[in-house]
Amino acid sequence: MLQVDIDTRDGGTVVIPRGRLTMVSAKSFRETVTAEIDRGSGEIVVVDLSQTEFVDSSGLGALVACLKTARQSGGDLRLAAPSEQVTMVLGLTNLDRVLRPRPSVDEAFRD
Amino acid sequence: MTEDTAYRRLETAVAPASLEAVFELLAQWWPEVGEVPAETRFGFETAVIEIAGNIVEHSRGDADDRRFALELFADSAVLRATFRDDGDPPLLDLETVRMADEDEVSGRGLALASASVDDVALDRDGDRNVWTLESRRT
Repeated sequence: MLQVDIDTRDGGTVVIPRGRLTMVSAKSFRETVTAEIDRGSGEIVVVDLSQTEFVDSSGLGALVACLKTARQSGGDLRLAAPSEQVTMVLGLTNLDRVLRPRPSVDEAFRD
Repeated sequence: MTEDTAYRRLETAVAPASLEAVFELLAQWWPEVGEVPAETRFGFETAVIEIAGNIVEHSRGDADDRRFALELFADSAVLRATFRDDGDPPLLDLETVRMADEDEVSGRGLALASASVDDVALDRDGDRNVWTLESRRT
């Protein structure tokens, strides 16, 4: 189960997935975020993971796909405030190198 | 006196929605397991969900009524998950599974499962695939 909230700010968008980002929800999450990237082309999209309880390999794949789309459109995708499980899977898959998570949404926008 | 153990089992359809049932089973089981370091717990849960996802993704074949069973077991020494499914044998060698590169969108599931627990094994028992995951508690 995943609910995705969108918060539009000056210079970017915050995407807030609430619940579990797994093979059940990864495709619709990817479509939602891709639509936001298209709408605010070239802007920064921050994925606020503070309400994301769990991410599996399909969820990680969706984040990688969204990062690619954002960069192709001249923008960027950044992660903020991952939980302990999400921090662990980002580390085990080496994705913390390309999806460097920041401690907070504000820091993700600044960096 | 018998040793304290925690055991839960479910049998369900090979379908994406069954992942929620697996999360629920884990949520019922953890309080019975007792204290487990957060890293061990998150790792075990990650591996269980990855293998459940792998079964759903790859074992469906052409039968709509395929099912899998999951047993969760814990004693003072180990956490163990055993999956049995009646899908076709997976064409893979766990020894050669490697993590996908950072720019790949897929191909991380089994490598992530292997990295998250101490042991992952896949055996064939008659017409069933048997996945066993183990994490040591110490």
